[in-house]
Amino acid sequence: MGGLQKKKFERGSATNYITRNKARKKLQLSLPDFRRLCILKGIYPHEPKHKKKVNKGSTAPRTFYLLKDIRFLLHEPIVGKFRDYKVFVRKLRKAYGKSEWTSVERLRENKPTYKLDHIIKERYPTFIDALRDIDDALCMCFLFSTFARTGKCHVQTIQLCRRLTVEWMNYIITSRALRKVFLSIKGIYYQVEVMGQLITWLVPYQFAHDHPTDVDYRVMATFTELYTTLLGFVNFRLYHSLNLVYPPKLDGKAEAELKEEDEEGYAMNSESYSEKLSALGGSLARVVSAGEEEEAEVDQFPVEGEDMEKMEAREKEQKELEAQKRLFEGLKVFLNREVPRESLAFILRCFGAEVSWDKSVCIGSTFDVTDETITHQIVDRPNAEKQYINRYYIQPQWVYDCVNAKILLPVQDYFLGVTLPPHLSPFVEEKEGDYIPPEKLKIMALKRGEKSAQEEEEEEEEEEEGEGEEEEEDEDEDAEEDEDEEEEDVAEEMNLKKMEKQRSQGKSLSVKVTPGKVKAENPARLEQEEKAEEKRLAIMMMKKKEKYLYDKIMFGKKRKIREANKLAAKRKAHDDAEKVAKKKKAKKQ
Amino acid sequence: IITLKTFTNILILSSSRWFNMAAARRLKRVVASQPGFLPVKTSVDAAGLTSGRRKRVNKNKKKSWGKHSDIQDVEQFLDDVRLQERTTGGLLSERPDDSLFFLDVGQEFGTVHQSSSVMCRLPSVLAHQKPNAKKLRRLAQRAERLAAKGVVPRKQRQLLNRRPVDKTAKKTATEANNNPDRGFYNLWGQEGECGLNALLLEAHEVEVKKQKEEEKIEKQLAFNKEETTIFQEQVEGLLEEEEKNPVEEEGQGEMPVGAIVLAEKKTEKQRKREKMDKIKAQQRQVDRQQIDRRQQLFQLRSIKASIKQQEQRTKERQTERKAKQEAQKAMPRRLGRLKYTPDLEVQLSDELASSLRQLKPEGSILKDRFKSLQKRNLIEPRERAKFKRRHKLKYVEKRAFREIT
Repeated sequence: MGGLQKKKFERGSATNYITRNKARKKLQLSLPDFRRLCILKGIYPHEPKHKKKVNKGSTAPRTFYLLKDIRFLLHEPIVGKFRDYKVFVRKLRKAYGKSEWTSVERLRENKPTYKLDHIIKERYPTFIDALRDIDDALCMCFLFSTFARTGKCHVQTIQLCRRLTVEWMNYIITSRALRKVFLSIKGIYYQVEVMGQLITWLVPYQFAHDHPTDVDYRVMATFTELYTTLLGFVNFRLYHSLNLVYPPKLDGKAEAELKEEDEEGYAMNSESYSEKLSALGGSLARVVSAGEEEEAEVDQFPVEGEDMEKMEAREKEQKELEAQKRLFEGLKVFLNREVPRESLAFILRCFGAEVSWDKSVCIGSTFDVTDETITHQIVDRPNAEKQYINRYYIQPQWVYDCVNAKILLPVQDYFLGVTLPPHLSPFVEEKEGDYIPPEKLKIMALKRGEKSAQEEEEEEEEEEEGEGEEEEEDEDEDAEEDEDEEEEDVAEEMNLKKMEKQRSQGKSLSVKVTPGKVKAENPARLEQEEKAEEKRLAIMMMKKKEKYLYDKIMFGKKRKIREANKLAAKRKAHDDAEKVAKKKKAKKQ
Repeated sequence: IITLKTFTNILILSSSRWFNMAAARRLKRVVASQPGFLPVKTSVDAAGLTSGRRKRVNKNKKKSWGKHSDIQDVEQFLDDVRLQERTTGGLLSERPDDSLFFLDVGQEFGTVHQSSSVMCRLPSVLAHQKPNAKKLRRLAQRAERLAAKGVVPRKQRQLLNRRPVDKTAKKTATEANNNPDRGFYNLWGQEGECGLNALLLEAHEVEVKKQKEEEKIEKQLAFNKEETTIFQEQVEGLLEEEEKNPVEEEGQGEMPVGAIVLAEKKTEKQRKREKMDKIKAQQRQVDRQQIDRRQQLFQLRSIKASIKQQEQRTKERQTERKAKQEAQKAMPRRLGRLKYTPDLEVQLSDELASSLRQLKPEGSILKDRFKSLQKRNLIEPRERAKFKRRHKLKYVEKRAFREIT
């Protein structure tokens, strides 16, 4: 037999994949080094379609990498640095063992290091690519910056993460890019819009937590290494796009404000500047420090094929956005000691408010609690003495809800001791037929109500008191209901609201129905009836096959509606039960 | 010098005649005294051997006297005397004390020893003399002249040109990737800021790529006429292919000789019978097929039913498989030994907090991120390494307790 016979597993998919151990041997690296290299370069294992073919007949679970990828890794200069590091460790250990302390010092001074800049440039050739992948980087950096500096992972990494996250937050504040916030049980979700990209990340709560044992720290540390480099470069670019100084410096005016007498109590001199930055109290310095620049009006370029309507819609959107960016402008807010200072300071400053806090909490407080011009004070205690009349004492959820609703919600729902309305998730977008919780409807009505009032400039602006019953929704889409308070005459209130709405919309109220008006309604109803009849006829005339298909479609649609109805019925039952309970309570008292 | 031959002769002689201790010792002594021979036991044995008995030698001739008498000590003494007389002019033992010793009261070197020490005077003379003073003077003058011109010797030039030593310690610290004070620069450079030039460059590159592809295809299609000879072209199709002679298979192998005779006798009969059987079997088959075909007409309905069933089964299986594939696409890939286990973080309605202060966070974000990386197939599912014992532990009760239980 000649040598040209086709042998098994020599062609096709079997040759495209390589097992992890073979790849490791080809690169001559140890397993942790190989893992680190793959993470840094973005080489991930693949699952082949026909495992048996690739695994040469066996179905043992193995990790496969594409052979192309491994060949690509062979040309990486970092591989050499890994080997140098291995040699360095060996020499160091020997020197330690022989107690040659001069050698140890000398080796330590010449420790081999590597840089990841070229890898970042390779993986993200343009800036927009980098922005798209920045979500992950932000999550990791925020997570690592909350770690305790015990030495389990390099303290320098934690410091670097802290610095980068503070820079990022300062950028967001300066560019007013924040759009949505959500408090979940895992942490706080933020969504911003930077250069047209929507970026979402998760920040853990500041409480101390035990670290889980089944997480591989080396893997996470490697990811963080890559991500810190990426975030650093992105920050640089973003700062330069806004003409800000990088590394960031506090504005001269702001720095003067933040100057205090006993600064040594907060941090070491070397760290006090970075601590002031991280307090998010002052604004950043710009490269070309101009005064208040008037924003030039953007020229209107009519896009081909667009009608006036679309252009107008876009203009409207832009105006709304501008209004949203100035949501908290003019407010002066003081944060009490028990509320999460960083998160609230970040959000409030993002929308233009002036924030301060108690001196004992953190460096950089601009005004004290005794300042008379404070408009709001965020408190989270069940009972606190309200010394000042001209400010509102509210719970922190007000801030988050306002950001999500894009308007200033009425403060009464968030007073101290009041059971809060549930915190709705802004990431859920209800489609037609889905169940919309009544609280959300109220907020939408509020928005519309306020808008219509503004448009028509009516004198009598009846503010609809939103007695909220809102549902708290988890990001994992598990609807859980909070305890709500219900007023007894809510039905009457609803009626009143409806009437007011109808009046503001120019329709006549049903109360004032006259015979003439009934006639006016008839044609509309007649039309509807006609349409319904036509539909019914068409359905009857369908062939059996078509009818079968139609039934299937309608079944699918109706199922959604049925589910929404179910949820509404559940809600009603819950409300009724609450009502009964309250009545009993009232009776007892 | 004893050669190997003589040595073996001696050995044989001694061994054959009188093998006594004396003879052996004598032999050893002779062997050990050969130049270059390293005995196993060194001079201890030799000394012991020689000191006991001395061989009787004649010392009346000069040669034998020189060989066998040791005058080393005398020679040494005489050499010493001569040296003393040469250097210090007489024996040191006959010198007076003053000439040998002096009382050190801190005076200079020259003043005390001028008179008596000859040895000390000589070095002082040499100390003021330089054998190559002229050469050195000449070289120094040359160097001066060159320095005046501006030419500096090579070593000095190199010294001056040497850069100051880099502070590698600080450098590596600042260069490290996780240094908290590291600086960043504009990595993405001039993106689109050059405008027209950048666009032109892009367009150029695209064109170059296209050209390359075209060239590649052209090369593959190119038919090189010079390789095929004209003769082959002309002769194409004329030559017939050789008929392949069928290889005749030689019978069913040779049967044993005895069997052949008998088989031959019956083969004719057998052949005929075989033929008849074959024909009959074929006929039977044909008949059977015809009958089957006719019967199938009556079985049409059941055949149809069975076919339908099979088709349905295949269809079902196909849809199932497709559904499974689609479902698999949504699930995270299986990479490695462990399977992906999703984590669910939910709080029950009685655990929900009514205010931010009372909120108790659930789960840890570190774990959440880890699972998310696994879900996106960036890393394979990992679990903590367990401690596996190579050999099972043996538990043995102490003797005292064993008696109780």
